[in-house]
Amino acid sequence: MESPLHHFEVHNIIPIHIGGLDLSINNAVVAMWVGLAIVAGSFMLVVSRGVSPIPGKLQSILEIVLEFIRNLVFEFIGEEEGKKYVPFIATLFLFILACNLIGLVPGSYTITSQVVVTGAFACGIFIMTLVIGFSKHGLGFFCILVPPGVPKIMIPLMVPIEIVSMLARPISLAVRLFANMTAGHTILAVLFGLAMTSPLWVSWMPFGFTIIINGLEIAIAFIQAYIFTTLTCVYIGDVVKLH
Amino acid sequence: MPQFEQVSVFGSLIFWSLVSFGLLFFILKKFAFPPILEALEMREKKIRDDIKDSEKLKNDAQQIKKELEETLNAAHDKAETIVQLAHDEAKKNQEKSLQETEAKVRQVQKDAEQEILSLRNKLLQEIRSYTATLTIASTEKFLKKVLGEEDKKKLVDESIEQVIAELEKRQNN
Repeated sequence: MESPLHHFEVHNIIPIHIGGLDLSINNAVVAMWVGLAIVAGSFMLVVSRGVSPIPGKLQSILEIVLEFIRNLVFEFIGEEEGKKYVPFIATLFLFILACNLIGLVPGSYTITSQVVVTGAFACGIFIMTLVIGFSKHGLGFFCILVPPGVPKIMIPLMVPIEIVSMLARPISLAVRLFANMTAGHTILAVLFGLAMTSPLWVSWMPFGFTIIINGLEIAIAFIQAYIFTTLTCVYIGDVVKLH
Repeated sequence: MPQFEQVSVFGSLIFWSLVSFGLLFFILKKFAFPPILEALEMREKKIRDDIKDSEKLKNDAQQIKKELEETLNAAHDKAETIVQLAHDEAKKNQEKSLQETEAKVRQVQKDAEQEILSLRNKLLQEIRSYTATLTIASTEKFLKKVLGEEDKKKLVDESIEQVIAELEKRQNN
């Protein structure tokens, strides 16, 4: 029986090496591009037809997604301040959702099951929150390390705790998405492998479970994209409002 | 796990995922999001305005309904008053007409009684005259002689009394 982790292996398709750096296009990148092409294609299709006041099916779906993200951003960052972050947060949600969902197509690849990818995004968001915090509040941004209402005597204790808490944010953000995607696909691979190798009178059971878990994975794809996006909004909201 | 073991692909995965995200962000922010978000905001604004307008219309309608109800009540009261006045007037007219008719009837009755009485007297006078002539003539013929004035008078009075008594007797029957 093949290892259930086998399908997490990345295979180069077009080798590209620039200055000793391997930038080869591989199966994970191609799968991601397919997912992103569907997202971008859907939006461009609606826009090229002209955004109608009475929306069609596709326009309705895209409007629901955008409205949902906009409300999320307004809730955590605030309406005035949040407007400029809506495009970024919406793109982030659609990017993660597309990558999560495209990975459920047999033979495809979930790039969000790569910890380096989720880590890159989490670190990027963390750095972005720091930039926003310092640009908005200057040195006053350090106030974020002291929760409101803490007695002065507790400050030397609270500051290191808050620093650890801040640093844990990108780690938890990255690991949560990577672990969920990896676990889901591993379970699917184990069940499907079992269905393929078992005798016919037994194999219907793991095969049935594969279908059920696949349905569950679709829900998880949405939930994880939602969690990643919500936490990003929370982090940005924290640095914008300083508690 | 391959995700930790294939270190050589880390660079390409990070690079292409960030580049792809950046490209997607650029495309969506530049071309896709503005018209859709604008349409959303316009629709929301239209819905808000429509709700506001409908609330205003509802308030106006309630105000008009209230005014109409007040007008209707006033008209109803006025109509009741008019009906009452008409009823009173009709009653008054009816009573007046009845009184007039009664008076007229009484007058007619009185006139009729007067006329009857007059006719009766006249008739009695005529009867008296005829009876007198007839009685005298009959008596003269019967007695073959001419009666004196005093006998004539006595005879005539007796005959008249008798005739009148007979007539009254018949009238009563």
